[in-house]
Amino acid sequence: MADIYTPSWYEEVKAAINKKVSQLKDIPEGKWNLAIEIVGDGMSPYVEDNGERHFLVAIDNGSCLWYKEIASESDGSEIGKLDYRFRGSASVFDSIAAGVLDPIDAALDGSIKVRGDMRFLLRQADQVQALLEAYAKEVTTDWPKGKPPYGSSAGSNHVGEAVFYA
Amino acid sequence: MGEWTYDAIVIGAGHNGLTLAAYLGRAGLKTLVLERRHEEGGGVNTEEPVLPGFRHNMHAQYMEFFDGMPIIQDFNLYELGLRTYMPEAQAGITFSDGRPPIIIHRPDLLDRTHQNISRYSKSDADMYVELKKKAMALEPLLMANLYTPPPVGGMPDQGPLLEALFGDLGITSDFLLKSPKVIIDELFETSELRALMYRACVEWGFPVDTAASGGAFLTFIMWTMGNWKLARGGTHTLAKSMTQACYQQGVDLIESSPVVKIMVDDNRVTGVKCANGDIYRANKLVASNADLKQTLLELVGENNLSPTWVRRAKAFRYGPSHVLGTLALCLHDPPDYKSARYDEEINKCFYTMVGFDGEEDTIMYIRDAYNGRLPKPAAGTWVNTIWDKTQAPPGKHSATGWYFMPSKSALTPSEWEEVRRTYNSAFIKVWRDSAPNMTDSNIIAERIYTPDQMERKNLMREGDFSNGEFSPDQMGSNRPFPEASRYKTEIEGLYLCGPSAYPGGGVHSACGNNAFKVIAEDFDLESPVVASRGY
Amino acid sequence: MRDSYDVIIIGAGHNGLTLGAYLARSGLEVLVLERRHEEGGGLTTEELTRPGFLHNVHANYHTFVDLAPPVKDLEIREHGVKYVRPEVQMASIYPDKTALVVYSDIEKTCDSISRFSTKDAATFKKLFNEAHGYVDLLLGTLMFEPPMSVKELTKALSVFGVGNRSEFLSVKLRRETINQFLDEHFENPKVKAHLAFHGAVCGYANDIVGLAIGFPLLVGKINNWHLSIGGSHRLAHALWRDLANHGGVLVTDAEVASVVVDGNRASGVRLADGTEITARKLVASTVSVEQTFLEFLDRDKVSSDLVSNELFEKIKTEIKHQSWSLFSVHLALSKLPHYLAGEFEPDVDKAWVVNLGYSSPEELNDDWKLIRNNQLADPKPNVAINSLYDPTDAPEGSYTGLLRQFAPYSIGSLGPGAWMDEARHYGEKCIDSWRKFAPDMDAEAIIDWTTYSPHDIATKLPNMVKGDWMMGEISLANMLDQRPLPELGNYRTPIEGLYMAGSTQHPHGFITFAPAYNALSVIAQDIGVDQWWKKV
Repeated sequence: MADIYTPSWYEEVKAAINKKVSQLKDIPEGKWNLAIEIVGDGMSPYVEDNGERHFLVAIDNGSCLWYKEIASESDGSEIGKLDYRFRGSASVFDSIAAGVLDPIDAALDGSIKVRGDMRFLLRQADQVQALLEAYAKEVTTDWPKGKPPYGSSAGSNHVGEAVFYA
Repeated sequence: MGEWTYDAIVIGAGHNGLTLAAYLGRAGLKTLVLERRHEEGGGVNTEEPVLPGFRHNMHAQYMEFFDGMPIIQDFNLYELGLRTYMPEAQAGITFSDGRPPIIIHRPDLLDRTHQNISRYSKSDADMYVELKKKAMALEPLLMANLYTPPPVGGMPDQGPLLEALFGDLGITSDFLLKSPKVIIDELFETSELRALMYRACVEWGFPVDTAASGGAFLTFIMWTMGNWKLARGGTHTLAKSMTQACYQQGVDLIESSPVVKIMVDDNRVTGVKCANGDIYRANKLVASNADLKQTLLELVGENNLSPTWVRRAKAFRYGPSHVLGTLALCLHDPPDYKSARYDEEINKCFYTMVGFDGEEDTIMYIRDAYNGRLPKPAAGTWVNTIWDKTQAPPGKHSATGWYFMPSKSALTPSEWEEVRRTYNSAFIKVWRDSAPNMTDSNIIAERIYTPDQMERKNLMREGDFSNGEFSPDQMGSNRPFPEASRYKTEIEGLYLCGPSAYPGGGVHSACGNNAFKVIAEDFDLESPVVASRGY
Repeated sequence: MRDSYDVIIIGAGHNGLTLGAYLARSGLEVLVLERRHEEGGGLTTEELTRPGFLHNVHANYHTFVDLAPPVKDLEIREHGVKYVRPEVQMASIYPDKTALVVYSDIEKTCDSISRFSTKDAATFKKLFNEAHGYVDLLLGTLMFEPPMSVKELTKALSVFGVGNRSEFLSVKLRRETINQFLDEHFENPKVKAHLAFHGAVCGYANDIVGLAIGFPLLVGKINNWHLSIGGSHRLAHALWRDLANHGGVLVTDAEVASVVVDGNRASGVRLADGTEITARKLVASTVSVEQTFLEFLDRDKVSSDLVSNELFEKIKTEIKHQSWSLFSVHLALSKLPHYLAGEFEPDVDKAWVVNLGYSSPEELNDDWKLIRNNQLADPKPNVAINSLYDPTDAPEGSYTGLLRQFAPYSIGSLGPGAWMDEARHYGEKCIDSWRKFAPDMDAEAIIDWTTYSPHDIATKLPNMVKGDWMMGEISLANMLDQRPLPELGNYRTPIEGLYMAGSTQHPHGFITFAPAYNALSVIAQDIGVDQWWKKV
């Protein structure tokens, strides 16, 4: 299937992040594991409508060690423990990858639900900002099935009324 | 609306329901308790009905079976928060002219009681001490009787027991045919002591004038008199520890869930339905701690019962022998009685009768209430804060009292409103006659709970604390009626576990305990009998 | 009670029970001690007027349902708690008999606001949408984690450019009052009055500098008010049940007299009746700072290296409390109120909560001034009729009502005890002012009523010092890691093994579960509890 969320794409994301990190000072020490959950919304051609794709990402001393796609929702036990979970609709994630939606905006307006100790993300705001920029702006993405914005509602909150802790 | 399934469903989280549920849970049955009110405990409740920090027991005041109650031992309720006090001076009567009080002490302090009664009559003092000792000797037997389902076919003849035990006092089996009053009058000459004794009888709901109730006086009343404990923090502590025992056994307890229907299919109970439409199915059984009429006539419905059971249920009587109103006072200082000049202990008496200046007052009071007339104000009173400081804010006191009152139906709603407006202040005047410091300035605030409110709050019909009159035809193997006396109903899987079954109202947990024994037999559950205690 | 447990928790309010339940589920032996005869603290439901009428004596509004992790972790709903989210949440009725209504449905709310100002309706919609977007993010950040400092937070907000990204949230709000925020964004005084009042009911006075920072979050959950069927106390039962299901024990009527300190660590408690109980791992207090430090600790026996005299003095003099309390009238009603404003807006008769009489924030300001000066304001109570949405809280055909009025803890120079004489009279005045809006609430409609004054609050629940139902002032200086004092801002105390886990801590009072949940994080870290609860 023509996809953007491919191993090679993530290799590129990884490289972009790691390049960015190498330029940073005050890189946070330690290991963090992230889950990314992308929910099909009928607009993105890359995730089946109402389907979900799950990814695990490992960060070590600021650098991205690896990412992998897994079959279903993870509690992180595959990789020790999970520190953060980012969940949002496919068109939101697509829009961020395409550089048309700012990831901070997406978190602020609730389009991406963030779970985990936000204090760390806030304390490391500079670094987080840098990583997000690398993700959103410094990766070239092929869009075999078209590219966001998909329509008028792209970028809005498609995970519905789901709240932080349902 | 939803639907759930349990092995066993108990209707009502009164202390009997909680008792049964704890045992069912321990036996491995998935058990649910549904309670109509927002609080567990039924009559075992303590509230702050007048002012914050002043606690009052709205129904049950004192406990005489703590030492024998199986649930306390079997579930280690003392580890779950239950603590008790047993005041030395247990029951007293005081007088407006400052005559010496009469004080009954704990069973281990009978010499003091003897000394006290001797002030009026040496022979009465002898008689009391003798009777009390003999009744105490019966304790193991009485306790075992209490916690064993009543025998089929009626209770055994008590005559031989009575003669064997009390024969040397000239008490023979004919005493069984007498009323408590007749026996008291025959055994005791002092009017002041009689006044106390009459009241002590009706404390337990035994009609003092009813013939053939006297046996209960000699055994049950004489046994329990002066054996009273108070639960620290209020009687509700008992319900709390029982609830916690249930929780620990994994029992689900859901409050504010009135049951409106017991579902029956082909003469077998299948579950219950709540007012909000929720349905709970029962794989094995439903046990009702609600009163008899509610259980059978309202929840099961006449169409599911035989004509005999319908007739029997309709004929079950509530009141007038145990209809009470509760007085709740917030005080600066506890009452200081005129009679204390003879014996200071009256000021530190657990239960003090106020407003009865002699036997005529007590008997008139009781007869008025029985006959639907509002008695001249008088009461049995408790000031629990003398022993348990937690029941009032620092330095203050909570006083509670019981009035004997007519059945709820004897007065109209507006007459009950009038009682609420006026009765407390009338009684406080009477109290002041005996304890001059009970002035308006000593009383911070007051409130009364009347029988119509009792009925509304706990569905104790007519305000009857016993949940069905204690008359010989409704006691023992006859409670609530012979066919239903073994906690079973004619609906398969439906049991009675509340005070409409043997032995009746009161805080002993025996109804729930015995219902479990019957259920354990029916469903082949492990017996709760502990060999060392014998029941 | 046994003589030793792993964990002893002082106070069985919702925070004490929540912490206890988590730790019991973690396999620890937990004892929760409660001074009163009932568990629940502010979660009390009593038949104050007549049998069958259930009055929530303290907490009535549950606004963190589904936002607070313990609701799920401790299976609160499975334990029998049923919440309803009233369709008509709150209304303001103004003296001219017009009314503004907030619904669970925000579109309908905006329609109601637009009857006063279409511009304000549009602004409100933008504010709600924006705030609703970050409610989850910020609650997770700010409420359900141990606090960070205002400085760190401000820096992060500015690095992420939050000020530029959002129309309403900005770091400058920490220098503003809610009044200023409202003046900046809204035009209609009645709309502003409603929003200011809503803030006040949440504990945020509209005239205190700095509280504007929290205001967007309040708006973000303005339609998330829930009612507990059968009374707020149901939640206390559920938490207790969870505790006991997992082997924990609650003991009521167990007043703690002192925390036993052995060397530099808390080793147990002594009860007022002399009973001593050992805590093998920790003691957590959920009562007031004053009780915990000034009553439970023996200053002479605790080394000053451990707790400095300076800290004791600060606790004595510098703990900040809300400058206003609440006066309540609890009512047993034979009929539902029918408001004159119903002609303008029929839905006011269906509103769970109705605010009466404030038509501008200035009127509220004036009342704050009076109240902070220990004077009684001309009552403009808010009215909650729970029976509209919970038919189980009153006998059939009857209804339970609650009037709440902002009021001082002390009256004039007479002190709090003056409420004993004043309460009935002030209650009558509250009812009279209600009747002006709902004339059918005549003597026949009111079966019975009773009052509950700020003095009563402090008597019933002494941890609510001076009737402070927030257990500590809501102000910028008393927020986050500064609450209740910088030295005590992180649930730990200078005494090893003694924790603060109640509403004195970040974030604040109310049924948030957050102090306990956050103390749990700190405790779990300190004593090495395996974290079974899902935070991610």
